Amino acid sequence: MDDYEPGPVPSPRPLDRFGFVKPELNISPDGLIKGRSACEYEREERRVRKWRKMIGAGGSDWKHYVRRKPHVVRRRIRKGIPDCLRGLVWQLISGSRDLLLMNPGVYEQLVIYETSASELDIIRDISRTFPSHVFFQQRHGPGQRSLYNVLKAYSVFDRDVGYVQGMGFLAGLLLLYMSEEDAFWLLVALLKGAVHAPMEGLYLAFSFVPLPIFVTEVGDGYFRWRWQKWVGLPLVQQYLFQFDHLVREHLPKLGEHFTQEMINPSMYASQWFITVFSYSFPFHLALRIWDVFLYEGVKIVFKVGLALLKYCADDLVKLPFEKLIHALRNFPKDAMDPDTLLPMAYSIKVSKRLEEMKQEYENKNGKTAESAECNEKQKQA
Amino acid sequence: MARRADEEYDYLFKVVLIGDSGVGKSNLLSRFTRNEFCLESKSTIGVEFATRTLQVEGRTVKAQIWDTAGQERYRAITSAYYRGALGALLVYDVTKPTTFENVSRWLKELRDHADANIVIMLIGNKTDLKHLRAVATEDAQGYAEKEGLSFIETSALEATNVEKAFQTILSEIYRIISKKSLSSDEPAPANIKEGKTIVVEGSEANTKKPCCSS
Repeated sequence: MDDYEPGPVPSPRPLDRFGFVKPELNISPDGLIKGRSACEYEREERRVRKWRKMIGAGGSDWKHYVRRKPHVVRRRIRKGIPDCLRGLVWQLISGSRDLLLMNPGVYEQLVIYETSASELDIIRDISRTFPSHVFFQQRHGPGQRSLYNVLKAYSVFDRDVGYVQGMGFLAGLLLLYMSEEDAFWLLVALLKGAVHAPMEGLYLAFSFVPLPIFVTEVGDGYFRWRWQKWVGLPLVQQYLFQFDHLVREHLPKLGEHFTQEMINPSMYASQWFITVFSYSFPFHLALRIWDVFLYEGVKIVFKVGLALLKYCADDLVKLPFEKLIHALRNFPKDAMDPDTLLPMAYSIKVSKRLEEMKQEYENKNGKTAESAECNEKQKQA
Repeated sequence: MARRADEEYDYLFKVVLIGDSGVGKSNLLSRFTRNEFCLESKSTIGVEFATRTLQVEGRTVKAQIWDTAGQERYRAITSAYYRGALGALLVYDVTKPTTFENVSRWLKELRDHADANIVIMLIGNKTDLKHLRAVATEDAQGYAEKEGLSFIETSALEATNVEKAFQTILSEIYRIISKKSLSSDEPAPANIKEGKTIVVEGSEANTKKPCCSS
């Protein structure tokens, strides 16, 4: 993008506290427009002091604190990380800070010296990523340039993933809280799995998954695996399968209604997983979800999804197909209040069932789709 | 579920919008269903959906339109939506030759996943960008004739030919469906999702909303 002069700075429009242009209708999407009372302000200050103590200077005490009091950390994160510390804490809990320190100069190399096959695809989507945020609005301005650099660097770093639509929203959200290089390593931490299971399968064109039922020993501690090829965003498909089952188990009446109306999660929840709620949800809610997502992993996405459906279930079960789809993409404002929705989400237990359904999904797909014998010998862990 | 009087229709036609990323599919849809164009639109992730009820050949037709993400990798998810579609609007960008060159790949995609007799219309969008045009009308016209597709050029931004494009494909679908129908009193059910006609009431098409949100 270096050939382009920055475009004109967009004329100032009223913004919300996160930098998004306010919708014309004067309805604040974040519900935070009302002035904060002195009491709230003080409470916030106290919270920030507690957090600063927990982190230490530049994050020096963090690991120690997490080891000693993981439950305190979890509880505090669930209440929301103070906005002024969010960028730093996200890097600490995602493991990206360590990646950055272990790989000095790598990001610069990727941005400056490497070329990517995805460059045109990335450019095409740059102005279509958070188009209503002030940082990304100026054509070829600093926001758009950073976004381009991070996505390009990632597409070179991991050529199997390259660039996929949706990644821009992850990178964009991160760039509002940290530098380009930090955002890049956080993306790496997420997709390559620094702390939790890797999520690159959300964006892969295909992946090979070993089929446990076809393992044969070829001697010397080596095994030959039969591999299963999953095509097209394999992890999205797995998550949708798992979510579909969870809906039926947790909300049987609604699940039954979905079946009757032929609604499946790909119609409304693909974006939830592909962009971790950053695509179309109110930003203050997305941030609170990300706080927990980075610390506890992807299960929070399932929990929040279920909580949303649970909160609205009484209305949703009455709606026919089209209205249902509309409602599933336009949840009412009260449903998206983090202080209502998140406690509800925390109370839903999914871990055990998620693991069981992952197995079920792998077995089921092993039976139906094409399998490929892989010649490589793989040492069994 | 009873049909409400104001939402009665004779036919329900499912149509898919496909084509490369960034050719303007979502804005064609919003122009047709809400008469809106959004300069600050986001790239489509997965699938979007909208409907509009209109008169076609003297009948009330509800068009149920599925808008799909254009990037190749999304086809694993979006191709499921071709099934049961009676029509497909295959969109390219008249200022981007590669999006026209990829039309043949999209046709193959339809042949692999959609019903054999799906009605396909080729649409060259963004004619408002006159000085950037890179695909000649005649070339696209010739290609469409060779492949047996109907063809039109549109501008979602200027609202040129958008209405006509949808009217044309819906009329074509109607003619095929009504030929199949045995009794004129009882319209043939439009096949969507394995034969189930989804009866729906109410339409959000008329409620004005800002098209962009964070």
